[in-house]
Amino acid sequence: SIAAVASAVGTLCRAAQLGSSSGAVAALGGSHEALRGGDSGCKDKGEAVFLGQELTSLRLCFPQVEPHATIAEIKNLFTKTHPQWYPARQSLRLDPKGKSLKDEDVLQKLPVGTTATLYFRDLGAQISWVTVFLTEYAGPLFIYLLFYFRVPFIYGHKYDFTSSRHTVVHLACICHSFHYVKRLLETLFVHRFSHGTMPLRNIFKNCTYYWGFAAWMAYYINHPLYTPPTYGAQQVKLALAIFVICQLGNFSIHMALRDLRPAGSKTRKIPYPTKNPFTWLFLLVSCPNYTYEVGSWIGFAIMTQCLPVALFSLVGFTQMTIWAKGKHRSYLKEFRDYPPLRMPIIPFLL
Amino acid sequence: MGEWGIVPSSVVLTSFQVMSRVFLIWAVTHSVKEVQSEDSVLLFVVAWTITEIIRYSFYTFSLLNHLPYLIKWARYTLFIVLYPMGVSGELLTIYAALPFVRQAGLYSISLPNKYNFSFDYYAFLILIMISYIPIFPQLYFHMIHQRRKILSHTEEHKKFE
Repeated sequence: SIAAVASAVGTLCRAAQLGSSSGAVAALGGSHEALRGGDSGCKDKGEAVFLGQELTSLRLCFPQVEPHATIAEIKNLFTKTHPQWYPARQSLRLDPKGKSLKDEDVLQKLPVGTTATLYFRDLGAQISWVTVFLTEYAGPLFIYLLFYFRVPFIYGHKYDFTSSRHTVVHLACICHSFHYVKRLLETLFVHRFSHGTMPLRNIFKNCTYYWGFAAWMAYYINHPLYTPPTYGAQQVKLALAIFVICQLGNFSIHMALRDLRPAGSKTRKIPYPTKNPFTWLFLLVSCPNYTYEVGSWIGFAIMTQCLPVALFSLVGFTQMTIWAKGKHRSYLKEFRDYPPLRMPIIPFLL
Repeated sequence: MGEWGIVPSSVVLTSFQVMSRVFLIWAVTHSVKEVQSEDSVLLFVVAWTITEIIRYSFYTFSLLNHLPYLIKWARYTLFIVLYPMGVSGELLTIYAALPFVRQAGLYSISLPNKYNFSFDYYAFLILIMISYIPIFPQLYFHMIHQRRKILSHTEEHKKFE
């Protein structure tokens, strides 16, 4: 199962002579004999040996692994003999309870002697972040429109394909659609992800959340019996302004974060305000993208005066606060000189 | 009690059970007076009462390090009958309440209204009843599994005495 911890103890023996020849991959065919239990022939040759902890021992022999090999390369080697555990699924660590080693880590820079022991953990089936994001955002975009156009079988038949007479309903559709189109485009062209993948079960969980709430909100906003906001056009204009400002803010932050990290790299730096006034929120919070996101949804809730939207905002806010606190904590841990005025998500408060 | 390490139950599972019982009592039996004279209410009250008397005796004796085998046996065996009994009582009670909920529009709000929200308690109760289908077997078989583990373990211990 996804949660199962399959540990195999990997022992990597450094090449007896530094600067040994490459050809690390060539002689892998010999490893399969070792699987049947004989362990002679592996030990003193500067080879990688993975010992299984479970009753059936898995032993693989790898030919010489060079000291400047990266964890990524070792994962690839492991996949060759265990194809069901592709690299994204492998977590290798020096200590069974320790942190996962990073793909970029180089063997000789790790705290190991001439023999390195690695522990393997199966992370379960993985799916790429990009795939998850695209799916979870395309859903709400499409689903909301089904309700907006009053597609049959949602409302009574006499309402099929009719259009609302309230301006705010049309405005809401534009805002909601714009929001998700923006997210899709950002996923494709703006964001730089630290991890390539996440566990497969997340896509079901995430899509249920996004698609479910989108349907729930859209049902009421586009309902024939929808009641427009109590304070009329004033309320709608104010809320729309909040929404637009927060969308621009959120986008500005995404761009600023992207510019912090060169393409293809995984560097992490403290984000700072830029010339763009929307980024000045970095002075007060660690995750202004989340601040603006909450703001957008509050704007949308005020604009539509719809309780399900307010509930969606609340749930989103709760989740983003958890993420912001985590991010804030890791910034504090990683950078000694982190600005002390900053709060995770709400200036001065949270 | 689970998170304080006093008894070995999971907080999630126990909270779930407590919530479901509070719901049955408060949101169904208390709220819909007409079902209070139903036999199904007697059924689940008896089932819960016997279960809890045994369960808390089990916890108490365990904490005193003096657990009679009878209590352990009762806790892990009587559920086989008491659980289905309780579930039947609960479902029949909810089912009996439905027409009255529908008639009175109990806890329900309909469109149009200022906050563009609606809630149909009748439909909600039906969803609750449906949710028993995936949930009950899981809980029941979890207990059966526990029974096998714990009662056979004791048997082995007895062999060495």
